[in-house]
Amino acid sequence: MRKVRIFALSLFMLLVAATDLAGQLPSNQLPTQSLKPYWHVFIAYAIVIVMVLGWVVSIARRLTRVEAQLGE
Amino acid sequence: MSVKGIRLTGTALAVLGLLGLVLVYWLSFFWVSTEVSQGIAQRIFYVHVPAAWTSFLAFGIAAFTSGMYLWLRDERLDRAALAAAEGGMVFATIMLTTGPLWGKIAWGTYWEWDPRLTSTLLLWFIFLGYFMVRTGTENPEKGKRFAAVVAIIGALDIPFIHLSVVWFRTLHPDPVVLKPEQPTLPADMLTLLLVSLAVFTMLFMGLFLLRYALENLRAEAQARSREATA
Repeated sequence: MRKVRIFALSLFMLLVAATDLAGQLPSNQLPTQSLKPYWHVFIAYAIVIVMVLGWVVSIARRLTRVEAQLGE
Repeated sequence: MSVKGIRLTGTALAVLGLLGLVLVYWLSFFWVSTEVSQGIAQRIFYVHVPAAWTSFLAFGIAAFTSGMYLWLRDERLDRAALAAAEGGMVFATIMLTTGPLWGKIAWGTYWEWDPRLTSTLLLWFIFLGYFMVRTGTENPEKGKRFAAVVAIIGALDIPFIHLSVVWFRTLHPDPVVLKPEQPTLPADMLTLLLVSLAVFTMLFMGLFLLRYALENLRAEAQARSREATA
C-alpha cells in the first residue's frame, strides 16, 4: 500500500512539473533582450565627457590667446 | 585673491573634478546595484541629476552676482556672472540631453511637453538670451545691465522647476533626495548620487574660477590696449 502511495505521489509531482513546463514558451518564442538601454547609458555618459572636456578645451584655448596678447 | 591664485585654485579643483568623474563612472558601472524596474537605464540618473543641480547652482550664482552688479556696478561681479552663466549652459545642456535618453527607456518617448521639462527648456532659452543680449547690444555697458536683468528673471524659473513636480501632475519623477521626508533611495544609490553631486560641483567650481580668471585677463588686455592707443 505504501509503495502505491509513493508511486501515486511521484506521478502527481511529475504531472505538476510537466504542466509547469508546458506553460513555458519554447526557446524560439522567448522575448529577445534589447541592448538599447545600454546604448542610451553610454551616449548619456559620453555627452557628459564631450561637454565637460569641450568647456575645458575652450577655456584653455581662450586663456592661451589672452596670455599671448598680454605677452606682446 | 590674485588672478594667479584664482587660476591655481581653479586648475586644482578642475583636475580633482575630472578625476572624480572617472571615479563616478567606475562606481556607476562596477559598484552600484542595478535598479529593479528600470534596469541599467537608471544609471543615467547619476549624471542627469548632478548636472541639473550644478546648472541650477551656476544660474543661481549668475543671478546673484548680476543683482550685485546692478547694485554696486563692480565689473568683477559682471565677469563672475558671465563665467557662471557659461557653466550653467554647459551643465543645463547635459541635463537636457541626458534626461530624454532616460525618458525614451522609461516613458517610451524622448520628450513630453510636461511642466518640469518645458520650464527647464525655458530656463535654457532664457540664458541663451542672456548671451544674445550681452553681445547684441550696441553699448556694451547697457548690454551688461540688460543681461543682468535677464539672469535674474531666468533664476526665478529655478524654484518653479523644482516645485513643478509637486504642483502639477507630471511624468517626471518626484524628488528622491530634496524633499521633506528622508531620501527614498537605497544606501548605495544615495552614496553614488551624493559623490556625483560633489564631483560635478567641484568640476563646475574649478572651471568657473578658470573662466572668471580668463575674463579678468581679458579686461587687463583691453585696458593695456586702450593705454597703448591713448
